[in-house]
Order: sequence, then C-alpha cells, then structure tokens
Amino acid sequence: MKHGAGGKWYLNARNYSNELVEEMQLKAYLTEQWMNFEQVYIRKMMGISSIGLGYKLQMPIAGRLLRWQAENMIHSEGKNRNPVRADGHFGQVIPLEEAKTIMLNLAAEPIIENYCMCRWMQKGCKDVCCINFGALSEVIEKLPRFIPEGTKVRLGRDEAVAALEEQNRKGRVATVWFQPVPYVNAICSCEVPQCGGLRLRNDFGLHTVYKAEYVAEVNPNNCQGCMSCVARCQFGAIRYNETIKRVIIDQKKCFGCGLCRDACKFDALNLIPRADVPGLKDQY
Amino acid sequence: MGWTKIVIDQKKCGNATGGIDPRSCGQCLKVCDPTVFIRHETIGAKQSNPYDPEFWQVTAVWLDLCTRCGKCVKECPQKAITVTW
Repeated sequence: MKHGAGGKWYLNARNYSNELVEEMQLKAYLTEQWMNFEQVYIRKMMGISSIGLGYKLQMPIAGRLLRWQAENMIHSEGKNRNPVRADGHFGQVIPLEEAKTIMLNLAAEPIIENYCMCRWMQKGCKDVCCINFGALSEVIEKLPRFIPEGTKVRLGRDEAVAALEEQNRKGRVATVWFQPVPYVNAICSCEVPQCGGLRLRNDFGLHTVYKAEYVAEVNPNNCQGCMSCVARCQFGAIRYNETIKRVIIDQKKCFGCGLCRDACKFDALNLIPRADVPGLKDQY
Repeated sequence: MGWTKIVIDQKKCGNATGGIDPRSCGQCLKVCDPTVFIRHETIGAKQSNPYDPEFWQVTAVWLDLCTRCGKCVKECPQKAITVTW
C-alpha cells in the first residue's frame, strides 16, 4: 500500500468490502487479535517483547534489525500473518471531513462505538470514542470489556458522524485503520500519549500511523493571534510568535489532522495537500 | 544513562497471584504522565472465559520514557512498585 501521489487508500471502496472479509477469513483473524489485544506489547514476538523498546532500538546492530522486523510486522501483507502480533495493523491521520465521508459512504455495517482499548490499557480510563465497522464490529460486540454501559453500541451513519464531531471538539485526532491491510474497519479519535499507534510513531519512529495527506498552513492576514488553535495541537507543531503577532506552524511536525483549523474563528488556518509542498511531499 | 528497571510485585498487584485486581485500581496508569505502564491480561493464567479475561496485571513497558520521578512508587496503594537504575 503506497501513500501519496494522490492515491488515498482509505477512499477505495474495495478496502471496506465484505468480499475482502470472506476472502481473507477476517472474522477468525480479528477475533484472535482482539481477544487478548492488550497483551500485544508484553508478548514475545520472535523472542523479543516491547518492554524497554526504546533501549532495545538503540542497540547498535540488533536495534536496526529489530526496527526492520517491527516495520515488516506492522506492514505485513503476507499470508502467514499472525493475529496476536497485530500484523498488518497501521493507520493514517485524516481530517474531520474525510472521516465523515468514510462514515457516510464507505464504512460497512454494522457501525459501533466502543471503549478505546489504548486508554483502558495505558491510562486506566474507559472512554467511548472508537468507531468500528464491518467485520470488526461483530467481533468486538462479543468482548464485554469494550462494550460501553448506558449508551447505544450500534450507531446509524448520522450518529457516527455526530460522534466524530464531538471527538473533534474534544481535541482528538481522527485516524483511519487497516487491520489487517488492506481491510479498513476503524476510525479512532486518538490522544497522545496513550494512543498505542501514536506512541510507537512519536516515541520510537515506527510507522504505525502515517501523517495525513495534508498539512496545515497559516494565512498571516487573517490570524488575529488569539491562540485558540495552539492548545489543540497534539504534535507540538503550532505556537504563537510574539514578534510577528501570529501563530507559526512547524510543518515538519504537522500531522495534518486539521484540529487547529477546526478551532479557528478567523479562517486563518487551512489544510493544503502535502504533495503540493516540495519539501514535505514524501514525508508521511 | 543505563536502563531504568521497574518491577511490580505480583503478590501485591495482579489478581492471578493473590494481590488486588488492577482493573479496580489503575493509580499507576493515571499518575504517570509519560505513560510507561500497561494493564493487560495475565499471560499464562487460565482464563475461564477467553472473551472476558478475569486475570489482569500491570507491566512497565516503555521504560526508556520513565523520568524516575517516583510518583508511581508513592501513589501505589499496595506499595508494589520499585524503580531502580
């Protein structure tokens, strides 16, 4: 699966289809993956667990081998994929409008909203925010710990869009996920540092989450320097610059989620295609 | 800087070996800003229902992100955590 060059894998309807579920026998695979998913960082994979991963990756030769092996696992499209290692499970940041497009047009039924596993395992909190669809919904519905109490589990498309908008207001980054590639079955609303995917990306440089097809840009004429965007950035890419009385964006850090733009009251922030910026076009 | 070692005494925390159920506590998870800990199903424990595991424990996974601030040691109601380096 390639990124860039205008090809958006998450807008390809085949990646959501039931034919793919049958062809890849995904119900059994996803059940196996999700039954004990919280063990994924503890389990030994080829003799090595993620405990102390940062130290292990720093080792001179073994560290480079480990990085290579981990990237292979994350992007595996092979037939011998192992569900308990979450082989072939990676995603990409998307702005709110694309998350809505997916929810309205592409996501397979049934659509459910459930407790975020990352927050439960890493922050001890139960938070209803992950939207799963297609074969994964039916798998998760069988696992009591992910099923929210007191709210509806299955959502209509409009309800799912409203849930995404609510998460955006709360400052969560929308991400769309392969699990396993090329089947797409989840839109998460992620938060650093307890998001497992963004943890591996931000702290260890592994490509579990790709940056969006976009990057944020400031219109200096419109920015009033109100700073309402600044607190929204989870990637430390935007700050207020007192000398020029407006915000500046570090586009190398920007993931293109659009949270800053969504908070701007003066139409001063835009998302532009990453491919249009020569120095960023292959920086996913 | 050498490795930070974080050991959690499974006799005090972790419901497979007699301590408390980390699902009802989670203080270490909440107090750690770099988010070093992970709560997970106990590997190797016989779970009566594989869809709804009953035995859980906490492991410190992202050791290199630990700043050795000692908040987890202080906050743990079971005094189960030791941080050494």
